Amino acid sequence: MSDYGVLLQQVVNGLSLGAMYALLALGFTLVYGILELINFAHFNVFMVSSFVGMWALGLLGLSGQGQVLTGLALAGTLLFAFAVTMLAAGVLGVAIERLSLRPLRGVRGTAAMITTIGVSYILFNIILLTVGAGSQNYPNPLPVVRWQLGEVTVELKELLIWGVAVVLMVALHLFVSRTRLGKAMRATAQDAEAARMMGVDVDRVIVTAFFLGSALAGAAALIFGLYYNYTSFIIGYTAGLRAFTAAVLGGIGSIPGAMVGGVLIGLIETLGGQLIAVRWTDVIIFSILVLVLVFVPTGLLGRAAPTKS
Amino acid sequence: MRSTIAGLPRACTAILFARISASTRTRLGIVFITAAAVLFPLVNGNDADIDAAANALAFAALALGLNIVVGFAGLLDLGYAAFFAIGAYAYGVASSWQLQPEWSGFWEPSRWLDLVARYHQASGDVVHFQVSFWLMLPLAAAIAAFFGVLFGAPTLRLKGDYLAIVTLGFGEIVPIVARNTPTVTNGAMGLNGVAAPQFFGFDFGVDATPYYYVGVALVAFLILMSVRLKESRVGRAWMAIREDEIAAAAMGIDRVRFKLLAFAIGAAFAGATGTLYVAKLQTATPEMFMFPVSVMVLVMIVFGGIGSVWGVVVGALVLQILQSWFLEDLSQWLHALGRLLSVDWLQHVELASSIELIFGFILVLMMLYRREGLIPATRRAPGLSLVEQTAQVARGGFARLPALIAPDGRAGGPLLEVADLTVRFGGLVALRSVELSVPAQRVVAVIGPNGSGKSTLFNAVTGLLPVHSGSIRFAGQEIGRLRPHAVLERGIARTFQNIRLFPNLTVLENVMIGMHARLGTGPVGALLRLPANRREEELAREQALEILSLFGNRLLPRADHLAGSLSYANRRRTEIARALASQPKLLLLDEPTAGMNPAETLELADQIQSLSRRGLTVLLIEHKLDVVVSLADKVVVLDHGEKIAEGPPAVVRQDEEVIRAYLGRSAAFA
Repeated sequence: MSDYGVLLQQVVNGLSLGAMYALLALGFTLVYGILELINFAHFNVFMVSSFVGMWALGLLGLSGQGQVLTGLALAGTLLFAFAVTMLAAGVLGVAIERLSLRPLRGVRGTAAMITTIGVSYILFNIILLTVGAGSQNYPNPLPVVRWQLGEVTVELKELLIWGVAVVLMVALHLFVSRTRLGKAMRATAQDAEAARMMGVDVDRVIVTAFFLGSALAGAAALIFGLYYNYTSFIIGYTAGLRAFTAAVLGGIGSIPGAMVGGVLIGLIETLGGQLIAVRWTDVIIFSILVLVLVFVPTGLLGRAAPTKS
Repeated sequence: MRSTIAGLPRACTAILFARISASTRTRLGIVFITAAAVLFPLVNGNDADIDAAANALAFAALALGLNIVVGFAGLLDLGYAAFFAIGAYAYGVASSWQLQPEWSGFWEPSRWLDLVARYHQASGDVVHFQVSFWLMLPLAAAIAAFFGVLFGAPTLRLKGDYLAIVTLGFGEIVPIVARNTPTVTNGAMGLNGVAAPQFFGFDFGVDATPYYYVGVALVAFLILMSVRLKESRVGRAWMAIREDEIAAAAMGIDRVRFKLLAFAIGAAFAGATGTLYVAKLQTATPEMFMFPVSVMVLVMIVFGGIGSVWGVVVGALVLQILQSWFLEDLSQWLHALGRLLSVDWLQHVELASSIELIFGFILVLMMLYRREGLIPATRRAPGLSLVEQTAQVARGGFARLPALIAPDGRAGGPLLEVADLTVRFGGLVALRSVELSVPAQRVVAVIGPNGSGKSTLFNAVTGLLPVHSGSIRFAGQEIGRLRPHAVLERGIARTFQNIRLFPNLTVLENVMIGMHARLGTGPVGALLRLPANRREEELAREQALEILSLFGNRLLPRADHLAGSLSYANRRRTEIARALASQPKLLLLDEPTAGMNPAETLELADQIQSLSRRGLTVLLIEHKLDVVVSLADKVVVLDHGEKIAEGPPAVVRQDEEVIRAYLGRSAAFA
């Protein structure tokens, strides 16, 4: 394979990772857009969801041993797994909001952010203590099907990932732009006080943002498992930091921004790993985060600068 | 009945301590704590216990440093362990065999200073670094502070929450860099053979006791530093930024500079602690400085009390000692309890392995139920007596103004000149080509309907909003591009329409923050507390009390109350007092009488009048037209961002356009 072919292959890989980061970044952006809160719990909602997905597949008799399904059985299994994981993740997100963040509404300063760190740490340690520190083989019902397109190989799982990401993002876009609750969300993101005065139930909007954001993290978590064929208590930290960088890169608070940022971060990760070295990936992505914040604090598609007036 | 009994011991101690003054009590407390700390290893001969105590002290030092960043300045730093790592590796590399460059003449001066040694090897002579621990302690602090500035500078302009994520990333990459640069750090294997400190020939070795004593000294020094910084101009500036960044800037605090200072000092504490820690362990691996360490220190300060110096020390010591001394016993007791009640899971609880889970719960539960921590940073002020609560409405303005309020400047000439000022928010033009002149020692009122651009004018003049075009000249100099704190330094102080006090600081502290720009004590002065610094602080306090006394019984008895606990009218008064404390030439008042009853309004109007008679120039936004008419020498009317009228109040009141735009059409026919 030529150097060019290798890079092209890394672009394909990057698009898959990017789809996952974009879904995860949407959760940061939805909550930040409305509450101006960096939700650190999101890191480990993602991680916990990957285990939920594993157990959901386990319920259908799939274990980490490589039972391959085809046809309707495969479609049904995946549908079930995504539905259960996304629902569970959404409920977890809503529970976090209701139990730990709603009582702090209106409290100034760092209290809410510290609380999300605490929640994140609790989730992290619950999985560590119950499942253990070792990584778990992920059940993967997808047959290994490859297509050779010139120098590039595309796998079935990659098509699946892209398909799921596109469907979910279009669904989110339609929800936000077409529905009543979506309109309420956009209004609250612009000016919560004014929205409240116009009769928008802001608490409901916040719960919706947490549910949707977490559900998308659930989908991202299942994608992570199907793509890498493992999960572990530790995955939330790195993936979360990268997805957050994606949200900032695209412009935090902006839904299309999170999608674009996610894909870019995915490409940067794979191409950077190829061209520099995988062990420096985190340093590269962190440098991008800092550079974006310094030079383009609005991000690529952001509305408002994150600076204080 | 229960409360009486519960109150009994407190009453007894109160009687016992009544004869001893507060400062003596503090001193006795410090003597007692010091004696206990010094005697502990002599009484408890168990090396493991002393070792645990020494580690706990290292974490107390870290907690003190993070408290400066998070507690004082309100900047959430989630990668604090990175600075701990930098300090640790600094000493580790400078006192081990890790780096062995070839010997050359370049190293000769360092050898005279005993920083390096020449080591003979078969393949040629090499340099052996052997920098003294005592030298490295301040040096590592300086190196960590340098990195604090390096990483703080680009991000401290951003909102606080972005700092959290950037520091999280920073905390993540420092161990990665350490792992990926094995030539300097020996990578994942870790540095080995770090030299133990020596003290006049006595080698510390591996015995915990000498490290324990260094830890005690370090923590004592850092407590002293924290307390002195907190009770100084520097500490007040930090807390002002924490409470309200915009108000802090408007009161003359250079936000970026003081945030960087907090970041650097916090990092320095961690750097010094890292040196002590690595000297004690004599090894350093990247795993020692990962995210859990940052979280643990955060948990300690949240548990002890964010912003409370003694609180965070107690928080750190309690949590550390709990971990190393009691957790095992506690687990055993739970097992016994489980056997007693035949509850199966209780018999298998291992608290030591679930410590991080416990930390997570501590963070959440403290935030939900006791945000001020074990030992709150602010003490509740005693209630007021009936006499102190009595306040009568007084007419005639301030009886005698302190010498402090003595603006210079010629009467009549223009003090503030705004020419062709345009301010835009995206597509919206908030002010269009506004012209305005404020003569010295006069009162000018700006009126206009809501949304006409009055507060935007104030924000543009005070540097809180960028000026799109036009000029703002103050005392003959252009100020249109200055940052808010620089505008205050020139002599323009303001109040805010929606009151921006520092709610969790006392009334007195609020007013003293107003003096920030006039005082000169920096971090070094605050630390050394030289006679000049003491005098300045005492004078500032006296002047602040004097300004508070202007408002009679309304503010003075409440000097030690939190500003957030004041009534609405008293908050407005405190804001005016804070602005006056900066000794302004021009005072901008944004709806000063809003929310006051008619009697209080008249009182305040008289007070503003007396300030003007003293020579203070006043520009005010006011909706109550009777106040405007009685106070103002000149009225400027804004509508939709444009000036539609200007002139003496009586004339403007008759202006057709003003009546149409502001008073409403019906008034025009009345």
